[in-house]
Amino acid sequence: MDPKLIDGLRAIVGPAGLLADDVRRKPYESDALAYLKRIPELVVLPRDTRQCAAVMELCARHRVPVVARGAGTGLSGGATPVEGGIVLGLARMRDVLAIDPERRIARVQAGVVNSDLSIATAKHGLFYAPDPSSQKACTLGGNVAENSGGPHCFRHGSTTRHVEGLVIVTARGDVLDLSRPRADPLGLDLVGLFVGSEGLFGIATELTLRLLPIPPVTETLLAIYTSLEAACQAVTQVIAEGLEPSALEIIDKLTIEAVEASVLAAGYPQDAEAVLLVEVEGSEAEVASQTRALEPILRAFGAFELRRARDEAERARLWAGRKGAFGAMGRIAPDLYVIDAVVPRTKLAALVRATTAICRERRLKLANVFHAGDGNLHPNISYDRRDQDELARVIDAGHAILRTCIEHGGALSGEHGIGLEKLEAMEWLFTQDDLAAMCRVKEAWDPEGRMNPGKLIPVHTCMETRSALPSGGRA
Amino acid sequence: MSTRDDAPMTPSALVDYAKSLDCIHCGLCLNSCPTYRLTGAESSSPRGRIHLMRAVAEQELAPDAAFVDEMDFCLLCRNCESVCPSGVHFGAMMEHTRDALVKSGRSKPRGLVRFAFDHVLRKRWMLRLATRAGRTLQLMGTWRIFFTHLGKHGRLLADVPDIPPARERRRMPALTKAACDRRGAVAMLEGCVMPELYGRVNRAAASVLSRSGFDVQVPRDHVCCGSLHAHNGDLDGARALARSTIAAFEPLVDEHGAPAPVVVDSAGCGAHMKEYAHLFASDDPWHGRAKAFSARVKDFSEFLAAPLARDGLVRALRTDAPGQALGRVTYDDPCHLCHAQGVRKPPRELLDLVPGLERVELPYSEQCCGSAGIYSMLRPADSLAIFAPKVAALDETGARVLVTANPGCHLQWDTGLARERRDVRVMPLAEVLELATRPDGRVTASRPASGGA
Ligand SMILES: Cc1cc2nc3c(=O)[nH]c(=O)nc-3n(C[C@H](O)[C@H](O)[C@H](O)COP(=O)(O)OP(=O)(O)OC[C@H]3O[C@@H](n4cnc5c(N)ncnc54)[C@H](O)[C@@H]3O)c2cc1C
Ligand code: SF4
Ligand code: SF4
Repeated sequence: MDPKLIDGLRAIVGPAGLLADDVRRKPYESDALAYLKRIPELVVLPRDTRQCAAVMELCARHRVPVVARGAGTGLSGGATPVEGGIVLGLARMRDVLAIDPERRIARVQAGVVNSDLSIATAKHGLFYAPDPSSQKACTLGGNVAENSGGPHCFRHGSTTRHVEGLVIVTARGDVLDLSRPRADPLGLDLVGLFVGSEGLFGIATELTLRLLPIPPVTETLLAIYTSLEAACQAVTQVIAEGLEPSALEIIDKLTIEAVEASVLAAGYPQDAEAVLLVEVEGSEAEVASQTRALEPILRAFGAFELRRARDEAERARLWAGRKGAFGAMGRIAPDLYVIDAVVPRTKLAALVRATTAICRERRLKLANVFHAGDGNLHPNISYDRRDQDELARVIDAGHAILRTCIEHGGALSGEHGIGLEKLEAMEWLFTQDDLAAMCRVKEAWDPEGRMNPGKLIPVHTCMETRSALPSGGRA
Repeated sequence: MSTRDDAPMTPSALVDYAKSLDCIHCGLCLNSCPTYRLTGAESSSPRGRIHLMRAVAEQELAPDAAFVDEMDFCLLCRNCESVCPSGVHFGAMMEHTRDALVKSGRSKPRGLVRFAFDHVLRKRWMLRLATRAGRTLQLMGTWRIFFTHLGKHGRLLADVPDIPPARERRRMPALTKAACDRRGAVAMLEGCVMPELYGRVNRAAASVLSRSGFDVQVPRDHVCCGSLHAHNGDLDGARALARSTIAAFEPLVDEHGAPAPVVVDSAGCGAHMKEYAHLFASDDPWHGRAKAFSARVKDFSEFLAAPLARDGLVRALRTDAPGQALGRVTYDDPCHLCHAQGVRKPPRELLDLVPGLERVELPYSEQCCGSAGIYSMLRPADSLAIFAPKVAALDETGARVLVTANPGCHLQWDTGLARERRDVRVMPLAEVLELATRPDGRVTASRPASGGA
């Protein structure tokens, strides 16, 4: 690294904001997908938009690639450093700037942790709806970059539905303020375009987010089935009847076994093949009528046991199995690979069968949990990244599962993004023309290709686009 | 700080490698960690620290001064253990690494406090001598001269509370009889520093137990449980003290001859005593004795909130709304009570039993206050920075009394609030309950927080 760059960065962010030694750079080598790693040249931790812009400007002058990082809970290698690049971390930008209870919006710095926002707005009776299972750690900026979802996004929609405005620092270090209230809804929706861009367009530094009133009553129902198919059919029926639960989650037999074998045991019966969690929220009357309508449906498809909970402690008990799934699998081996598969809801049971077979063939330990309402399946495979052979089988299984999703008319990611992990798979789903269009959008934001390069869009397709242009690429 | 390249220990011995593999790198612990919240640096987070340990063991990283610094920066508050879905034993892992860093000569500052560990904490007469000398210095005003000579480590000594007069430092009797119909018998830990600085808290706890119907026995020849040793890289010292503690409490039985519950009013000591078994290999005969002993250990609040004792306490409580005189009260969870022992509800339930007491929740009450054993003396600047958001949270509640259940936190709050000039009184849970059960005495509302410069 050019010492001039290091000194310049230190002058901007101060000594505590620049991490340059081996020990302090090492932990940034990966996000939560630990097998993909590279130690960054430097880590810079700015405090605000102004510092962030100065950092980006300096990096532009030195032509240094930049990878944004929130909390590094991403599961697709989005925040994995790139060759010769620095990491720009937003962890020191954690101020809630303003809460406007009248307009039900909050303005926050991008490094604010998802659940901290709801804690801050609770006194106004408001909450922030998107609730990724990592919400106690992941940043709102990371959520915007990944367009994250969560169990309750079935009803409320994923992050993009809750972003009102953004302040973005561009690759060249310009500040683009897209957070002014837009009286005029016309014009290009740059905010919408930015959400889900996985750090390829610029750095989001401030976010204006929509808040919702905390529902007065929340009720959780847990139905236990002897067949996974039946649980899936119950979900389809619930949706067909126009009911609007806020969450519809299924955990399969493999997960039940893993959970029950661990200290997180949730007390599910031995012969349970699937557990379906349904949450309804709203006014007393709404919840009562929804629950009345739900119960017969859940039973009609063979739920042999139905549990209900209203208070916080009881609800926590019903959710214990779902929440403990990750940890229970984590105890089996040092690493956990969380696949993010999506298919039309009606194909869920078929996908689970295929996934189970794929992992069995490759001698891998699997458990499935899913956001059933969204057709989003998370096969969790436990493995040990030190075992090269096992790692290869895991990656191979991931590919096979993705191909199965595509065959069933699904997508590459429900909520974890493409990042580095699924780069190759982009070409299975998208045509060269699709990818070329994406490249052109990327180049409009970041002509030099220094923002999180080599992620999301396969590089060679961009090169091909460029060479096809008469000028040879660069504008 | 220099590291010794000729250190006899191989890098992998610095780390409990098997335990480090329990971490699946999910990052869910980041936001719970006070040092990460302060710096935003992944190396100062639980996941980061485990990653560094693992990298050292796998010889990808040298255990240099920066590595030692990140290990020392950790508060050992174990907040990360409370949120980790994978059940990582972070505390045990850090104790292992600190012990190895001290043994291999890589961690110097902790070497300094070793003298105190080796000598003062183990012998009651040394402790008494030290506090008597300290009090004399304080009374003569020479205290200030003394700490200014100590430079940056001295600054925190400036905040050491006034050492109480001998009357308050008198030892507890070997037996305090139940003050009413007897419900049972308990053994109580008097502790090492506790009787010197907070003897009145011990006596308050014993009074409450006695008024609730319990005989309270105290093994007079016991001194220290060894928790400070374990947290600061002296596992051998910790083992020796664990053995003597177990031996001292083994003979104490209840009225049926069964081993008496060991009631502890210091969360740090209780947490450590509940985990004695991990100091001994599973084939060591002390392992089994430690397990049996640990099963008897109960935090003061945990013991009192259980049905039998609670019933006794309810009968002993005054009915003339003794809580009213205190004004609004809030409770701050000591890390070694909520994170290490998982005790969260009992202290709140007990406060809510006090007639007339108004309790509000303290935001982020499970975040560390920066006391962390002797951390506040080893890293004063960091300790102050960790404390700052706690005061802001307290201000939000508008509470007049802050209740805690651990002497280290008590000290940190006492000195911190005096420094920040907040008119909030710090009270251990035992003292609140003592006031509320005092048979005839008056309930006094305001006594200025002690200590402070
Ligand atoms: C246990 C666990 C459970 C999870 N559950 C869910 C779930 O239910 N739903 C879900 O959607 N995801 C889930 N995830 C994935 C992950 O938490 C989300 O993708 C989250 O949004 C990432 O946030 P982060 O702050 O950790 O971002 P990082 O991992 O640090 O970064 C993610 C990507 O965003 C970019 N980025 C980060 N901040 C910015 C910014 N300010 N501006 C521009 N780009 C930025 C990075 O460059 C990277 O490409 C889970 C992860 C774990 C470990
Ligand atoms: S929460 Fe536990 S498993 Fe996850 S990163 Fe932290 S220590 Fe590791
Ligand atoms: S023990 Fe406390 S300070 Fe240390 S890593 Fe865990 S949460 Fe952070």
